[in-house]
Amino acid sequence: MSSIKATLLSREVLPFYVSLAALALVSLLLDALLHVFDLVWIGRYLGIPGTLLILFSFGYSLRKRQLIKSGTTVRWLRLHERMAWAGSLLILVHAGIHFNAILGWLAVWAMLINIGSGLTGKYLLERARKRLEAERQKLKDEGLTAGQLEERLHLDSLTFDVVKQWRSVHFPITLAFAVLALAHIISVFIFWGWK
Amino acid sequence: MKRSWVMSIIAVNLIVLIALVFVFPHLMISPGPVIPAHADIATDCFACHSALRGVSSQRCQTCHVVADIGMRTTKGKALAKGKSKVAFHQQLLEQDCVACHSDHVGPKLTRHSRKPFSHALIKPDVRTKCDSCHTRPDNNLHKNIKATVACNQCHTTDAWKNATFNHDLLAANTALTCEGCHGKPKDKFHRQIQGNCQQCHSVKQWKPSTFNHDRFFVLDRNHNATCATCHVNNDLSRYTCYGCHEHTPAKIRAEHVEEGIRNFDNCVKCHRSANGEGGERGDD
Repeated sequence: MSSIKATLLSREVLPFYVSLAALALVSLLLDALLHVFDLVWIGRYLGIPGTLLILFSFGYSLRKRQLIKSGTTVRWLRLHERMAWAGSLLILVHAGIHFNAILGWLAVWAMLINIGSGLTGKYLLERARKRLEAERQKLKDEGLTAGQLEERLHLDSLTFDVVKQWRSVHFPITLAFAVLALAHIISVFIFWGWK
Repeated sequence: MKRSWVMSIIAVNLIVLIALVFVFPHLMISPGPVIPAHADIATDCFACHSALRGVSSQRCQTCHVVADIGMRTTKGKALAKGKSKVAFHQQLLEQDCVACHSDHVGPKLTRHSRKPFSHALIKPDVRTKCDSCHTRPDNNLHKNIKATVACNQCHTTDAWKNATFNHDLLAANTALTCEGCHGKPKDKFHRQIQGNCQQCHSVKQWKPSTFNHDRFFVLDRNHNATCATCHVNNDLSRYTCYGCHEHTPAKIRAEHVEEGIRNFDNCVKCHRSANGEGGERGDD
């Protein structure tokens, strides 16, 4: 029992927190380096590649909805996770630890909640996938026919309901982040002098 | 049903937040408060910003007429004399206000984006007239510099410090009064000496000094005395050997006359140390 708990901790819970902590630590480190080397101005422009990475990461949503045909969904999901993580990192460095405009702050907080939600989804999806796989193998070993297997697995697919429910939370959070970030970007375009 | 409720609540919140951007732009999107003098236009972003082009100097100049800067307020009221230095802004190569000024002074983000002031922005003929903006320092050194000396003979426009000073620029009457600028060394040796630094030191550099007492007289054993023992009144150009009880004029005279030596006024001519009887030496 304790070994199952240990596996759960090392394979599922730990990566979640490691990913989150790494994001915080790396962004703090990069921000500190920019300050030490008097290169704070770079941070001002990191918002652009950060936003582009996050935008590209939405390729996964397009692939899921068959709007993109190339590449496997799993590969797109990995890209979505990595690009969103890297983009968020750049946005965090871009935001820095500053208390300036409220809109920018709201967008950053929406993004942080989005990251938390995204990592939770990753964790739930991984857990559901593993359970389903284990169940399929177990039933196969028990010698169930394809029909019976389908019937039994349908019940297990309820596990996916958790993922489905999560998605219904993740989407509005992403929407809020997108609207706030867009408002921030528009305000920058309107008021910033691009010289 | 539940989901649509959540979506509605989020949508309403977002609409309210976006509305707040228009109602309180100075809080929602401004990177920091404007300077107090601009408090009345704090919520009117477009008073200074042009859409998609940022801040334009033309907008600054609609209130701040370049010809009036430093002379009159934006309301046309004359400034008190002495408050402004010179027609500085009028003499700039470019009337690019935001090259030096930023209104949102709070955040480092915008502060850092400003170019620091550069003398290169000033017209060349005004650039050399330092005293039109700067006041000559009120210290001894600068008071004693020849009136004809221009600031840029020592200083550059990059930084005030690391000036290349040349003693030749000093007025003749102050060139030799080293203590006017330099503190006297506090070591035992220099404590005994007053003035006349140039007898040992040059204006090129403090070290090495040109002075080597051994060339004149070796100060050892019984002659390890204070300067004033031999150099009365710290006049290092003169010396006397009669400053101690050992060498009295009468005793010296008796000893030398006995040897048939009549010219014994300049002791170190023959005696360069306390050793031996001495002998004829060349003049130094």
